[in-house]
Amino acid sequence: MAGVVLDEAWGSALAFAAHSQPVELNLRTWLRWALWLVVGFAVVFPGIVAYMVWLERKVAARFQDRIGPNRVGPLGLLQPIADAIKLITKENTVPRSADRIVHVLAPILVLTSAFLVMAVVPFAVGLVPVDLPSGLVYLIAVSSLTPLGIFLAGWSSRNKYSLLGAMRAVAQLVSYEAPQVLATIPVALWAGSLSLVTIFDRQLEFGWNVFSPPGLLAFAIFLIAGVAEVNRTPFDLPEAESEIIAGYHTEYSGMRFGLFFLAEYLSVFAVSCVTTVLFLGGGTPFPFLGFPVNLLGDSTASLILVNLILVTVFLLKVLFFVFVMFWIRATLPRMRVDRLMNFAWKYLVPLSLLNIFFAGVWYEMVIRPGRLTFGNWLWGTLVTGVLVVAAVYLIFLLNRKLAEAKPIGADWPSVATAAAELAR
Amino acid sequence: MASILFLVIAAIGVAAALGTVLSRNLVRAGLYLVAFFFAVACLFVLLEAEFLAAIQVLVYIGAVAILLMFGIMLTRDTLGDDTTAIPIAWMVPGLFMGLCVFAVLVVGINNSIAPSGWSPWEGTTSRPSLAPRESEPAWIAERREAVNDMPRVIGVELMTRYVVAFEVAGLLLTAALVGAIALAHREDVEPRAPRATARAAETGPPPEAGEPVASSALS
Amino acid sequence: MNNDIPLNWFLYFAAASFAIGLVGVMLRRNAIAVLMAIEIILNAANVNLVAFWRYGPPAPGSGPLPGVILAILVITVAAAEVAVGIGLILLCYRRWRVADVDRYDTMSG
Repeated sequence: MAGVVLDEAWGSALAFAAHSQPVELNLRTWLRWALWLVVGFAVVFPGIVAYMVWLERKVAARFQDRIGPNRVGPLGLLQPIADAIKLITKENTVPRSADRIVHVLAPILVLTSAFLVMAVVPFAVGLVPVDLPSGLVYLIAVSSLTPLGIFLAGWSSRNKYSLLGAMRAVAQLVSYEAPQVLATIPVALWAGSLSLVTIFDRQLEFGWNVFSPPGLLAFAIFLIAGVAEVNRTPFDLPEAESEIIAGYHTEYSGMRFGLFFLAEYLSVFAVSCVTTVLFLGGGTPFPFLGFPVNLLGDSTASLILVNLILVTVFLLKVLFFVFVMFWIRATLPRMRVDRLMNFAWKYLVPLSLLNIFFAGVWYEMVIRPGRLTFGNWLWGTLVTGVLVVAAVYLIFLLNRKLAEAKPIGADWPSVATAAAELAR
Repeated sequence: MASILFLVIAAIGVAAALGTVLSRNLVRAGLYLVAFFFAVACLFVLLEAEFLAAIQVLVYIGAVAILLMFGIMLTRDTLGDDTTAIPIAWMVPGLFMGLCVFAVLVVGINNSIAPSGWSPWEGTTSRPSLAPRESEPAWIAERREAVNDMPRVIGVELMTRYVVAFEVAGLLLTAALVGAIALAHREDVEPRAPRATARAAETGPPPEAGEPVASSALS
Repeated sequence: MNNDIPLNWFLYFAAASFAIGLVGVMLRRNAIAVLMAIEIILNAANVNLVAFWRYGPPAPGSGPLPGVILAILVITVAAAEVAVGIGLILLCYRRWRVADVDRYDTMSG
């Protein structure tokens, strides 16, 4: 799997090991990267994000029994363009006592972090902008830039509500990073590598990671933590529209607010992409077959055909996850900040830690033999399924006991206090 | 090309470090520090340790910088003493001292004594090449594999050769975690100074002075 | 082998950062700024470690990655130190109401 590291003339041909072939810094590579930047990152992804905003408004409207934007263009399809024009032509105000440079820098930081996540996602075979051998650590590293940007936004606005929103946001993001990272450890364990391309390949042989009890639990934890990481309802306390005006982006208007907006939806897209790659096997249509990658021959035509299938299925899966996030937003109420932190630290972190052990059990039972057989898979599912269900039940039970012994400051009667009232 | 890249990154790094140390506004100093961390991460990439660069960004920028920002926010000066600027009288002696330290280090670098069989460090103008050749010492093959697949090799090393250091680091982190929580925990307010309690006896309980409003959102 | 970066450039950068960090520790009065300068010093040491690992002779019996592992341990210790340091500074701030290291001058009370 490893390729050549260094050539003799280091300056002219820097070669670092990619998935199975070294990457040389010649014109072809620069052209590839320039193409990715100009076509992918500057055109395609913002376009997808703009229409995600339209989709969200339509979906939320349908959930609320109304129609949504339908004036600008057929079905309101030109609405994102109208929104973009409005945001660009709006006045960019900066509060007088705000720190101007930091005020401008904050949305740039958040947006950069969202874009950088997309740089390691394998959309199809060979269709990955950069294949890093330590892709998962890179993902965690760039997604840890977001809390910094949000804190700077809140701080530089010199506004109590902004600061409050920023502190809540940072607390929430930092807390939910732990279960998110811990949930990706089973995936790295099974693939034997941190590279997303290797994880994708491993799922071709052993089935999607979600079709195994530890993988299912990891998927659930990763999705919940991912929703929290992008500040979506029910975790959108930082930008709680009805409580603290708009939280950390109160003082932003015009295109700077547009940058935050873009960053949020791009993060939603990025988290959906990463979930698809890590747990649902990227663009493969069927869980346990190697189709269509086993059709890959030597000809470019087969490569194009296979990649078309992979990219289409990948985008469909990403669309599904994006729809799920919109659905959750339209349905669930917002969580209170102490319950939110409670949930992260007392439920998700212990569960994801236990999940690592169960992932080890699954590895020993199913993956170490080398080939996926139905018997192994069945036994593995039974054993780890029992363990996972027991762990979830145990964690919830322990937390209930803890809450009964020492209730969080609830302003409605809990079960215990109501029982005590009745007994009196 | 690599030299130019290094010069640019090193210039950015040194400028950012100077900005951190000389900047009057603490949040700006924190941002300069983030730029310095990023420059160091780029240097790690130039030294073919990308995993370490990712860890550097993750730990330093993603955690330490945010912690420092929180610290800045929670310790804003409320008594009007300006602690953020360097006193003018100290500037020249301080910079002179810095230059002297740098000069001593440079003299040390330039007059190094090399291990036998290796050129002195100022003469090491290129790194040992890791391209595969027919007759190479054993450590080259090992190191090539390590640089190609660094996460896996780091895992193996931490679990076999450096396991004691790894466990001690875990112990240290646990101690730091418990210690930080114990230090900052504020559930039982410590008894105030006698002056304050005497004043409290007259005027009622004093308000929680000095604690910013926003921090109550987290307690 | 001809246009690679010489080793002592990395060492000069580390020395310069170390000197700047040292100046920061000595001159700054704000406790958080002192912590920032300490972080600069630690990072300079890390650059030194990794540069010597990549360019220098292999140490016998220490495996293929001694410099990188040591740098990871230094990062770990630095993170722990910042956490405890911020806790201490908060305590001192509660006691003296300023984050000025010149005022943290008594151990009693």
